[in-house]
Amino acid sequence: MSAVLDEATATLDASVEEPKPARPGRGGSRRKTAGDWIVLLVAILLGLLIAVPFLLILVNSFKSPADYNTSGPLTLPTSLYFDGITAFWERVDFPQKLGNSVFISGLVAVFAVLLSMLNAFALGIGRVKGRLWIVVVILLANMLPQEVLLYPLYFMFKEVGLYDSQWAVIIIFTVIQSAFGTYLLASVYGTFPKELLEAASLDGASRWQILWRVVYPISRPTLSVLLIFFFIWTWNEFLIPLTFLVSNDTQTVPVAITVLQGDRLMDVTTTSASALLGLIPTLVFFLIFQRTLTRGITAGAVK
Amino acid sequence: MKHTRIVGAAATIATAALVLSGCSGSGGGGGDDDTLRLWHYESDTSAMGIAWAEAIKVFEEETGAKVEFEEKSFEQIRSTASQVLNSDEAPDLLEYNKGNATAGLLSSQGLLSNLDEVVADHGWDDQLSPSLQTTAKYDENGIMGSGSWYGVPNYGEFVEVYYNKDAFAAAGLEVPTTLDEFEDVLQAFADQGVTPLSESAAEYPLGQLWYQLALSKADRSFVDDYQLYTGDVDWEGDEISYATETIKDWTDKGYISTDASGLKAEDAGVSFINGDAPIFFSGSWWHNRFSTEIDGFEWGTFLFPGAEMSPGSAGNMWVIPERAQNKELAAEFIDITMRPEIQALIGNNGGVPVAADPADITDEKSAELIANFNALTDRDGIAFYPDWPTPTFYDELNAGLQELVNGTKSPAEVQQQLGEQYQAGVDDIVG
Repeated sequence: MSAVLDEATATLDASVEEPKPARPGRGGSRRKTAGDWIVLLVAILLGLLIAVPFLLILVNSFKSPADYNTSGPLTLPTSLYFDGITAFWERVDFPQKLGNSVFISGLVAVFAVLLSMLNAFALGIGRVKGRLWIVVVILLANMLPQEVLLYPLYFMFKEVGLYDSQWAVIIIFTVIQSAFGTYLLASVYGTFPKELLEAASLDGASRWQILWRVVYPISRPTLSVLLIFFFIWTWNEFLIPLTFLVSNDTQTVPVAITVLQGDRLMDVTTTSASALLGLIPTLVFFLIFQRTLTRGITAGAVK
Repeated sequence: MKHTRIVGAAATIATAALVLSGCSGSGGGGGDDDTLRLWHYESDTSAMGIAWAEAIKVFEEETGAKVEFEEKSFEQIRSTASQVLNSDEAPDLLEYNKGNATAGLLSSQGLLSNLDEVVADHGWDDQLSPSLQTTAKYDENGIMGSGSWYGVPNYGEFVEVYYNKDAFAAAGLEVPTTLDEFEDVLQAFADQGVTPLSESAAEYPLGQLWYQLALSKADRSFVDDYQLYTGDVDWEGDEISYATETIKDWTDKGYISTDASGLKAEDAGVSFINGDAPIFFSGSWWHNRFSTEIDGFEWGTFLFPGAEMSPGSAGNMWVIPERAQNKELAAEFIDITMRPEIQALIGNNGGVPVAADPADITDEKSAELIANFNALTDRDGIAFYPDWPTPTFYDELNAGLQELVNGTKSPAEVQQQLGEQYQAGVDDIVG
């Protein structure tokens, strides 16, 4: 967590100090102002605020129920207790759920990025007629609440025999995620330097070649960021996987976590443990790829 | 063209996942003649989980059929049942939630099998007392209480008083038998500076206490009016006025903390477990947890003093989907779960069986619990829950009682507001 925070502070510092070379005349040698410190303080406070639920999960995952009952949720565990984690692990067959989640989120991320890129190439660089309206229609998939989509999707997938199949979820999220991806990439590609495209076509490149040899390499940082977001967003999806993955052996991690929620009772420590287990994979994924994230979502100017 | 590291890595992960999960596509579907597909959402350490695991064993031995069991989450069955039961993935038998908005709704949509014949054949109607049958029967509009059988409850639940025996002994107090004695007990603790009642107004506990107070002045026809819409409920009448004013009175006297307005049921339960509050008025669903997690003091239970009726109902129940493939096997399984030995397992593990032989219950605390429940059902004292009549009344009742406990509204204002909200909700249902 602190690594992320440091990174955030570092980026913040960089962005605060960035204007200096641009305005050398105005007190260039000045150190950080009071304003800078306030911004830094606010950022740290925000970071802590965001970290609190995570820390609570961490603290309570390793507590025994008896410990929780006597000391409440806010204190540190008196001794480390791993039964909650192992109980949840075995009860839902966690490795299988993890495999399902990685399978679904991974495929959705790859497919959705590919689809977004193809769409955006047509809309942003191809400049299709009425592209604004096409983007608006595509964005509907993102803007409609999922509850509204649920029943139509249920009947459609039941008709084609994909109800209770992971492919239903993969197809749905590929479309939903690529809606956002198309919107974002289309505007990025809309500002793509014309000289590059013209140079490429003068050299005799076909559209396909322009896409793969010019546009793709240059927009790769943006694509990577999208890929990471799509992976994490799909990972955390709940309602649609809950509806479409009926059999236990097709279910994802967030759906498996609900097994612990009863009609009236909740088991705080085991629920924390399950949340921790569900959170670790996305956290690991994020930490591995965070450098790409901080590179910025609209990067991709001429190199 | 250089390969992107990230895209490459993600693709590798995806491929690995593909290989790992193999062809774990759709499971289930098409039924064998001798396979029973069974779903429920009780954990394997709970009373029902233990008893039903045994029932599965007995069933497989006796019929030679195989049980394909999946433990579902309560949340999943609650929010996806109508879709699943309308598809080929419907199981043969599942545990489902009782009530107008759940089993009632699905029965009126034709998704659940009518069980009238099966119930009569097996004599389950003789095993279940009348107030437990209420939630198993639904009319053509899906309103409970009359009409055909659509479910078979296997366990019950009710609300009682849990008390800390050590704290009672230290204060020289006896178990109260009338409401006046109960108030004396509360006063005795309040005099010592202890808040006697562990309450939560953010969730169900205070609503149930409020309803219990109304019940102490009520008869069966009040409950029928309130729950089954057989007549108008007088929101200015004795029953409800007494309940609302008593909550206010108890708060003013310090029996209920004003902090309760922000607390959840879990908080209230924990404050009883760790000994902070000597009395907790809540449901039998806590019994198992208290047995395993309280080790600092002795505790016991009694029914709310001075009342013929208490909140409670049959538990969630077995239903057979209309699209089930093996309805006969499903009925046989239900029959096994109604047998005394399986019912005794529920009882001996902290649950409340509906058809157990009291002699089979060996665990002392469980025997006390079941004796309380049987006392209630024998005098037709199961009065259901205050939030049942309309889909939104749970939140409305909690909000009203929070304002009462906070002191932002007077009892008269609160019950007038609740009355209007109740009536609006009921009008929507009855039409």
